[in-house]
Amino acid sequence: MTAQMLVQIPLLLMAGILLVPVIPTRLRARAARWDQGGVSGLVLATLAMAFWMLPRSLDASTTDPLVALAKFLTVPLLIGLPLAFSWPRAGFIVRGVFLTEFVATFFRLGWLYRVSPIRLCNNYGLGDQQRLGNYMLWIGGGLLAWLALKLLAGNFKSLSPSSSPGAPG
Amino acid sequence: MSILYPQNEMLESRERMVLNLYLVTSLVLFLVMMVLGLLMRLAQGAWMDMSPTLFYQVMTAHGAGMVGTAALASSAVMWFFLRKYVPLKTSIFLANYVLFMIGAVLLLVAIFIGKFAGAWTFLYPLPVQSLGVWSVGSAVLFMVGFLIIGVGFLLFYLDAMRGVIRVYGNLGRGLGLQWLFSGTVDPDHPKTVVASTMVIIVNSLGILGGAVVIVMSLINAYDPEIALNALFAKNLIYFFGHVFINITIYMAVIGVYELLPRYTGRRWGMSRPFLWAWAASTLMVMIVYPHHLLMDFAMPRWMAVTGQVISYTSGLPVFTVTAYGALTNIHRSRMRWRIPAMLLILSMFGWAAGIVPAIIDATISVNHVMHNTLWVPGHFHFYLLLGVLPMQFAFMYHLIGRDTDRSVSRSDRLGFWMYLSGGLAFVFMFLAGGHASVPRRWATHFPGWQVYDQVASLSAALVIVALSLFTVRICLGLMHTPSSAEPAPAGD
Repeated sequence: MTAQMLVQIPLLLMAGILLVPVIPTRLRARAARWDQGGVSGLVLATLAMAFWMLPRSLDASTTDPLVALAKFLTVPLLIGLPLAFSWPRAGFIVRGVFLTEFVATFFRLGWLYRVSPIRLCNNYGLGDQQRLGNYMLWIGGGLLAWLALKLLAGNFKSLSPSSSPGAPG
Repeated sequence: MSILYPQNEMLESRERMVLNLYLVTSLVLFLVMMVLGLLMRLAQGAWMDMSPTLFYQVMTAHGAGMVGTAALASSAVMWFFLRKYVPLKTSIFLANYVLFMIGAVLLLVAIFIGKFAGAWTFLYPLPVQSLGVWSVGSAVLFMVGFLIIGVGFLLFYLDAMRGVIRVYGNLGRGLGLQWLFSGTVDPDHPKTVVASTMVIIVNSLGILGGAVVIVMSLINAYDPEIALNALFAKNLIYFFGHVFINITIYMAVIGVYELLPRYTGRRWGMSRPFLWAWAASTLMVMIVYPHHLLMDFAMPRWMAVTGQVISYTSGLPVFTVTAYGALTNIHRSRMRWRIPAMLLILSMFGWAAGIVPAIIDATISVNHVMHNTLWVPGHFHFYLLLGVLPMQFAFMYHLIGRDTDRSVSRSDRLGFWMYLSGGLAFVFMFLAGGHASVPRRWATHFPGWQVYDQVASLSAALVIVALSLFTVRICLGLMHTPSSAEPAPAGD
């Protein structure tokens, strides 16, 4: 369970991100018309992620080759690719909402996996589930700390100060 | 240029419309919630019949409504002044309002139709263990309402965060952290930006904590087998809840920094102690919440001790620099004693006096006997009724004023003194009740306790009359008087 959620799915997602440069420019321009502010792509990625967070989806992907194939296709194409495509187009607020929910999801799932008295996936043991819960809490905490540090002391090149009122010298 | 109504505070018609929505809604909600509060005190004083079930519904609506409305009105103060220094989107400000209203409707439906009466703190597992008084669906609706309101405020803070980062580079620079130890403090660095940055940081984290515990409570509501650790859930709820209500004063105090110097005619400069105070409070406001859990014997001892120590110091830095700054600003200043100035001074008194009962209650040995008494409502009503709300009313009165105003009208003066005397009598009845060990959150009171409730009812009625005067005056003013968008010909 830990390997599938924290290793396999993220690697598949990375594969989708790496696909962006090979998408023809014309196709990207057409898709961009349907992706104002990156919202459509991020919503698509979120819905696909929600599906692959369901325990029965994870279960089925380990026992049914067709579902496994669906996972190998949809995680890169419906999560990684739209994420990479839409992220640069998303504004600060859309990114903020996405990241807040992303961090909150790590905390919620981590907490859920730790306290659930039953196995949520039939193919994995309770120990694995609780270990995954611990890892997710740590990852959520790490992400939050990184975000806090970035916001407190980081550089934000995309938010140009020149176009704003009263910029300090 | 007008001193009271500077040009850079002009509102476009759309901005004014959205701001007016915030202000009118806040005033009406405050009035409705105060009437609910009065009904509770009347019922406790045996001057009115109210079933305990209805009492707890009213208590839940009063708590949730007052916390939400205080935050709504304070966010209007923050938005109005912060937009002078950083770019803010009116559409996001409007989105916060719309989401707030949707959430408020869900809360009211959950309470008055679904009969949810688990208090605004929705402490696990009470929402799902109602002994048949309300359904799980009602509890879910209530929590979803909170979730939606939280999303609205998160959008508002993200927009403010974007604005601060765009102008100052990052939140640390907005907070002035670069000047804590060395360097020359920029005397023109706006206090509004410092306060807003603190609010953005603290309340975004608070909302994140709330979003986690609410969704986990929702999972538990539909799958009771997933039992949560009640103490951990309570920690998260109070982290979110305490931060959310505490931050209303830190948003509203921006009005003091912006308006008081205009009425005194004196500059209120930036200083290193001011920056230190806000930096310290940024941290302390987040870790002070354990003072709500001092009676939970299972809490780690170090957390309880931290709760006590930080409670003594949490509000102190910002309060000290604000109160000291305000007093030196006023001293021999030829203050223009108009109604906004009077309300600002009242708010400083309410803030100062309102934190004293809290500090007393945060002492562990005192807390064990006082925390479940009316002493605690005495504290937060003092702090909110005579601290936060007067800051918000001062801002509203300022908006409808003109440079040419020379005196305070008789009705405003009457309203002010009624509000002050009624408010003081009302909160002292809570504190006296607490001193006499009257428990809080009890629908029915013994005859010996009812004198406090009866005096409080009369006082609350006085406050409601005063607020009605304020509401009529401010609403008419917002409709008929050119606000800061069209400054009247300068009279100074």
